Amino acid sequence: MLGKCFGVICVFSIIFGVFSGNIDEISLAIINGASKSVSLVISLIGIMALWNGVLNVLKEAGIIEKLSRLLKPILKHIFPWSFKNNVATEEITACISANMLGIANAATPLAIRAINKMNENEKRTKASPDMITLAILGCCSFNLVPTTIIAIRSSLGASITYALIVPVWVCSGVCCALGIILSRILGKLHERY
Amino acid sequence: MSAIEKFSALIIPSVILIVALLILFSKKDYFSSFLSGAKDGAKSAINLFPTLCALIVGVSIFSASGASDFLAQLLAPVCELLHIPADIFPLIITRPLSGSASIATFEEILSKCGVDSYEGLCASLIMASSDTVIYVISVYFSSSGIKKTSYALPCALFVSTFCVLLSCIIARMFF
Repeated sequence: MLGKCFGVICVFSIIFGVFSGNIDEISLAIINGASKSVSLVISLIGIMALWNGVLNVLKEAGIIEKLSRLLKPILKHIFPWSFKNNVATEEITACISANMLGIANAATPLAIRAINKMNENEKRTKASPDMITLAILGCCSFNLVPTTIIAIRSSLGASITYALIVPVWVCSGVCCALGIILSRILGKLHERY
Repeated sequence: MSAIEKFSALIIPSVILIVALLILFSKKDYFSSFLSGAKDGAKSAINLFPTLCALIVGVSIFSASGASDFLAQLLAPVCELLHIPADIFPLIITRPLSGSASIATFEEILSKCGVDSYEGLCASLIMASSDTVIYVISVYFSSSGIKKTSYALPCALFVSTFCVLLSCIIARMFF
């Protein structure tokens, strides 16, 4: 899939470049692009190592569980079916907490396990409303500390770095709310028809 | 505004402070859990490199050939109608598809338009508050035998489109 994207972009751009007379710029861009990727990855190694280490400490100190307990009363209203039947509630809360802390590689397996559990007794092939709400919340990525974005910005010399955090909260908070509301409404409509 | 900035600047240091206090005052060896986590983090950053190298080269060619400017010009009327800058259009396409492709386009936008420019801030907000929709939905559902995802994809794509519009509005409001 990514290979196809890369292929299409390159073929299209190079043909376009030949006709628009930008072929010199292209050969320069290939070399510069390759070295730019090195400096970008180097700045990412630093922040990803530090933040992953920090999150690992928080995880082992039980912060995810504490956050899960805080979130439970809210999530009860977002996943009504699962909480009413007491299915996969642990996985759902842990998944949402991991997403909020930005531990994507913990959140994805938790989400898969949650969906598997919701499906255990029903063996359906069509997604249920709660499953879809979980997936949509995974897509909105409500992230308390967007470290990767801050790191990329500061590696390029930005003066606005931390100040971005609150606007990001507003933006992803509103998007999550919209996602939840839409998913609930569409879920109700689907049940009826 | 400055109060928000001060508060934002406090968040990461306070997380580090909590971790430092845990390492100092707990009987458990939290420093070694920090080290093992950091090792994984560095590894996943390095694993990102081959893909990122190819994609950044691809995006650089796309930008240098003039194709991206051409496309932006074509889409300018639509973007103007929605009040989004035409330069962030490549990011709107790549963000739902793949994490590394969107990092590559994000970097290109920042270096082309300026990190602190309006376009750069819009792109940063989009990156931070939306995720790889198509990837997430296919991974979440495919491993549990769910074939029909019903309204999941259209709904998620609608939300991420809304996120683009909202990011531009918020970028104008806050900065």
